[in-house]
Amino acid sequence: MSDNHADLIVLGAGPGGYACAFRAADLGCNVVMVDPRATLGGVCLNVGCIPSKALLHAAEILREARHGQDWGLSTGEISIDLDKLRAKKDSIVEQLTNGLVGLSKRRKVQNIRGSAVFTGDQTLNIDGENWTFDQAVIAVGSAPVRLPGWPDDERIWDSTDALELREIPKNLTIVGGGIIGLEMATVYAALGSKVSVIEFMDQIAPGADPEAASILHKALEQEGVTIHTSTKVTGVKASKSALELQCDGAFEGVIKSNAVIQAVGRHSNGSLVDPSAAGVKIDEKNIIDVDSSCRTNVPHIFAIGDVTGNPMLAHRATHQGHVAAEAACGHAAALDTQFIPSVAYTLPELAWAGLTQMQAKEGGIAHKTTSFPWAASGRNLASGGGDGLTKLIYCPHTHQVLGATIVGRNAGELLAECVLAMEMGATLEDISLSVHAHPTLSETIGFSAERALGTLTDL
Amino acid sequence: MSNVIAPPSVRALARQKGIDLETLAKNLGRTSIAREDVEGGGTPTGSASNDASFWDVDHSQFGPVTEEPTSRFAQAAAANLGAANALIPQVTHHDRADVRAIEALRTDLKPEARARGVKLTGLAFQAKALACALREFPTFNSSLSSDGKKLTLKGYVHIGIAVDTAFGLMVPVVRDVDQKGLWQIAKEISDLATRAQNRKIRPDEMGGASMTISNLGGIGGIGFTPIVNPPEVAILGITRTETVTVWNGETPSPVPMVPLDLSYDHRVINGADAARFLSYFAGLIAEPRRMLI
Repeated sequence: MSDNHADLIVLGAGPGGYACAFRAADLGCNVVMVDPRATLGGVCLNVGCIPSKALLHAAEILREARHGQDWGLSTGEISIDLDKLRAKKDSIVEQLTNGLVGLSKRRKVQNIRGSAVFTGDQTLNIDGENWTFDQAVIAVGSAPVRLPGWPDDERIWDSTDALELREIPKNLTIVGGGIIGLEMATVYAALGSKVSVIEFMDQIAPGADPEAASILHKALEQEGVTIHTSTKVTGVKASKSALELQCDGAFEGVIKSNAVIQAVGRHSNGSLVDPSAAGVKIDEKNIIDVDSSCRTNVPHIFAIGDVTGNPMLAHRATHQGHVAAEAACGHAAALDTQFIPSVAYTLPELAWAGLTQMQAKEGGIAHKTTSFPWAASGRNLASGGGDGLTKLIYCPHTHQVLGATIVGRNAGELLAECVLAMEMGATLEDISLSVHAHPTLSETIGFSAERALGTLTDL
Repeated sequence: MSNVIAPPSVRALARQKGIDLETLAKNLGRTSIAREDVEGGGTPTGSASNDASFWDVDHSQFGPVTEEPTSRFAQAAAANLGAANALIPQVTHHDRADVRAIEALRTDLKPEARARGVKLTGLAFQAKALACALREFPTFNSSLSSDGKKLTLKGYVHIGIAVDTAFGLMVPVVRDVDQKGLWQIAKEISDLATRAQNRKIRPDEMGGASMTISNLGGIGGIGFTPIVNPPEVAILGITRTETVTVWNGETPSPVPMVPLDLSYDHRVINGADAARFLSYFAGLIAEPRRMLI
């Protein structure tokens, strides 16, 4: 036996990996966490959720300042110090990743910087060193998809490059109108780029409620973003002065850009740790199939987060991390929810959870919808908010809430009430009889419920 | 997606206790489950409040006791009976039937029965008569949906026979009793009862009955109130035949009569229907020839 042994080895220190490692340590496990990155936190903290939110906050400040004139508040021309903005973003990331080091130390979790590969069902090789483990968790996340056939050009960015804030390109094209693409469009349009978004599907934020997505669509256009839906990029030419994208579909023609962001999705990193060497099944898309306790087909090896497939979201990974840690420590744990929220932190935000109207229709599930337009919300108008909508899907027989979509300022925060309501099996009556403070945006949720029940007096 | 409404904390507690929420909800006849339901261990106690504290008594303070675990078999039966008693508004109707004709027939057929190696029991006649009565009164051959909004009428007549075994109560089922002759019915009941005693009944030989007969005639008693075996809507209890005085005008005569106890689900069956049903059944027993018509 080698001296390098751990009860539990967690591969990956992202939001899933560290949540799992910390929970297992709290339950008394001797835990080793392995990640090739110099800092803890994975994509989320280093090059994902957190830095993008810092830049989106900057975008919001810019937007508010520009709209100040409507309120008689003029700031004059706003100058952007890109180095300072980047430093601010980096300092926030640093604060959080350092915080993780502290949390890790307090729990006596051993962090190893390195790349691990399985060599058997109880053995790992970490940069040349052999390790043995009783149980392991694969939490190595995902990476941006690179479109095939594109030239090698440093003006072609992925989301990580975009967050580095190298420059503010005069013309920026974003391929992919999903959550990541739209957030980048929001940031760079506010910073002053002329942004175009190309989306293959017939709406931006595919999968979201079309009515809500169209409100976001219009708001982005008002901020100067050009959006081409049902459009495909068929070719890319790199010349000295620009990147030329040949487009086909609803928009046909060539878009010239100083930079292009590829935001067409993410793929699992599962194969990087060679799970098959441990007998763990992995499919052709590198996705590892797990049960509700996050166990792979090899019962003492777990997988959590993006390597287990869609939805590839940090908060799903975190919950899976806790489940895997508890299951590994012999507890009866499982992730049993249909309510994993999706949030685009755009301006305005678009957030949804549970069933959309489309899913209910396709699934033949009895449902009705109710909504409240934010044009009738006092708080929204008083805060200079733009258009917005709160929409609930509910069962016509029991009035149980089955789904919620919110578009508007702080939609991501507001959605939490709906998620809790759905987890608790709350009905429209429960929501409408819960007192919502006035004036708040949260009232729009209560109003939607009242509207369905015929008790609304605000419309 | 689960159809049971339960908060995440209750789902987690159920998982820790190994309780299946769908099954628990079904047993409790509910669509939502609260923490108290799961804390109760998931077994319906039959009381509306599910308060099991009455049983939390240290019996040894009153004298010597021994403890033995209940079998899984007994636990399943207890849960089923508890749910049936808690959920079904039951009424028991009593009557009796003249068994002289049947007894005479059984005596006549004894040599043939011996030759065939089949014991022609009173129970076989009762099963056959019940099959005829179920054809005459289709409501008794039905099941109510769990939400009470639908009644399923069955196009077949299968009869469950409650069998007392060393390890608990079992109810094997004789299929298509209306289409079978007495010899066949008697043979099947005897075979099922023997195999039940030896725990050799296959799962597909239980369930799906139109009605159940619980016959205590061989043991004794003058009547009891059986509990309807859900999803059936009625059960027939039978106790020991006794000779009673019947007045034929001015003349008393001794007549052997079998006591009959019919418990039924009052949501589906009314008292008058039950009286008609049992009276019809008693008529068939008194005049078995009418079973042919």
